[in-house]
Amino acid sequence: MESSGNEFLRGTLKTIVLKLLHERGRMYGYEITQDVKERTNGEITLTFGALYPVLHKLEQDGLLVTQSEEADGRLRKYYSLTPIGTATAHQKVSDFERFVEAMQILLSPPQPPKLSVSMA
Amino acid sequence: MKKLTPQQLSALHSHLIRNGSNDALMGELIDHLACEVEGYLWKGYNFDLALAKISEEANAKSIQYLRENYQHDLAMTDAQLQEATLDDIVFEFRNKSYGAYDLRQSYQSTLRTALFMGIGLFLLIVAFSGGLAAKKWSFDSPFMLLWTLGLGCVAYAVWNWYLKNVGFDEELRTS
Repeated sequence: MESSGNEFLRGTLKTIVLKLLHERGRMYGYEITQDVKERTNGEITLTFGALYPVLHKLEQDGLLVTQSEEADGRLRKYYSLTPIGTATAHQKVSDFERFVEAMQILLSPPQPPKLSVSMA
Repeated sequence: MKKLTPQQLSALHSHLIRNGSNDALMGELIDHLACEVEGYLWKGYNFDLALAKISEEANAKSIQYLRENYQHDLAMTDAQLQEATLDDIVFEFRNKSYGAYDLRQSYQSTLRTALFMGIGLFLLIVAFSGGLAAKKWSFDSPFMLLWTLGLGCVAYAVWNWYLKNVGFDEELRTS
């Protein structure tokens, strides 16, 4: 699912980031990419090119706050949710669940018996 | 856990600079790549090999992609653009860390401080030399008026400078 995977990912990246931060509280960029990779067994990999613009955008919109800390001689930026961010995380996750359910209905094969009854 | 030396970190830094990363993301990208390099070191690669591996992934094209993505996502909205000054537009996404932007932002206030300080000191000198020439200080002389005015101007300038640079309020202070 190389190229179409990227296409699906683009719309759901915010949801993924918000959901992870809601669970884990405080994460930095690399940690987020690793976590996504591990939990999906490498099926979904976030590139830094996709992740950091989203993080900065969410910060600009007031959903995330950052803390910079020095780690191993370099600056590490931790992200965590603001109260608005937490509310948005709940909202987005439930919206996405509904979307996935709807998609599953679309993807599952149509049920012939029901259809023939309604036709008759 | 294997740690990178400052030299190795600066190798990553120059790799990013060469490939055109923007300043707003520099610190984070260095940390990101350093984590990846450390992952490779952990698996037994040496630093040069790890750097080559990383460079394959973080090449000019992917950093370019990052920059475009970033500028697209964080571009000013139309409402912000209406409010934005020319400085905000010219310096958007670039060169903010070099000082020119800060100087331009505080230019009005600096100019006001300098103007009042200049006028005030000038008035004080005029009043003082006038007083010396007259060889007496009387409260109803014009020089006393000039002296008071001058003191007022200097006090205003000092107050203005204090608010801007020391200040009680974090918000007002230039960072």
